[in-house]
Amino acid sequence: MDPTNQEIYQLVLHDAPYVIGAYAILWVALMAYVGIVFRRLMRLEKEVAVLEESMERRNAAK
Amino acid sequence: MRQLKVALVMLLIGGVLTTVAFVMAFTTAEMQRFGTVTVDEPLDTAFPLMEVSERGYTYERPWFSQKIFYFHVPVAEASFLVFGVAAFYSIRFLMRRRKEFDTKARLAMETAIVFVTLTMITGILWTRAAWGVWWEWEPRLTTYFIMTLMMIGYFVLRNSIEDEERRATYAAAFGIIAFINAPISFFITRLIPSSHPVVFQSGFATSNLIPFIIAQIGMLMVGYAIYAIRASEVRLEERVDVLKDALEG
Repeated sequence: MDPTNQEIYQLVLHDAPYVIGAYAILWVALMAYVGIVFRRLMRLEKEVAVLEESMERRNAAK
Repeated sequence: MRQLKVALVMLLIGGVLTTVAFVMAFTTAEMQRFGTVTVDEPLDTAFPLMEVSERGYTYERPWFSQKIFYFHVPVAEASFLVFGVAAFYSIRFLMRRRKEFDTKARLAMETAIVFVTLTMITGILWTRAAWGVWWEWEPRLTTYFIMTLMMIGYFVLRNSIEDEERRATYAAAFGIIAFINAPISFFITRLIPSSHPVVFQSGFATSNLIPFIIAQIGMLMVGYAIYAIRASEVRLEERVDVLKDALEG
């Protein structure tokens, strides 16, 4: 390996895995959390739509 | 639905801003010069040799791990702020006894715990990179850890009480007491000796300040978006319960 590159890697990029790891974990965790909440939200919206339809049918039958 | 739309826009803008800040942190932000690294073999380098010990050769070098700062600090400050929102709604609940304030306090605490967890993870990775250890019982880390435990305690308390009114009252009181930890944890590095860096104490180059501010605004937007999306979910859950009761009744 080129000695200059080696020096840079040894001195500067020593921390790179931690920096990359911190940013990756931050965004993956946030996106996963938002994704889970969104899935629940979509399911609830469908449930509300079904229940409202049932309610309308019951009211119409009365 | 309006709140959800606003939340989605905020989430998008927050995501863009934090990504822009991340790119700036590695491109335009000035590299911090302090920090050390220990290597096994001596190097022919312009960076000064600080110490030779049985661990190896310790050189001063650009502080690459400082780049974690641009997302660790905004997340940490967002956690303090959202925790403050939870305490605010807890106080309002105790004053007015309205269920909506208890729900808002719970949702804010939930959002805060997401940010606290991310602060801990990014902080631990920085500690490992900068100090060579995964954890150190120094004042900031210790007080922040206590704050995290109290947040977890808030949810343990909520889950252990069945009566809705009592649960809300106890949780509100506990939430307010737990929040006392936030200013202690925030100011402790300024009050007593601590090895944790203090932001802005030793000056800050404009090239570092701009990505930091952008990241901070972006992270607060993401925080609001998470809170608002969860609030929309809770409203839908309540709507489902009302409709089920009406159909059964």
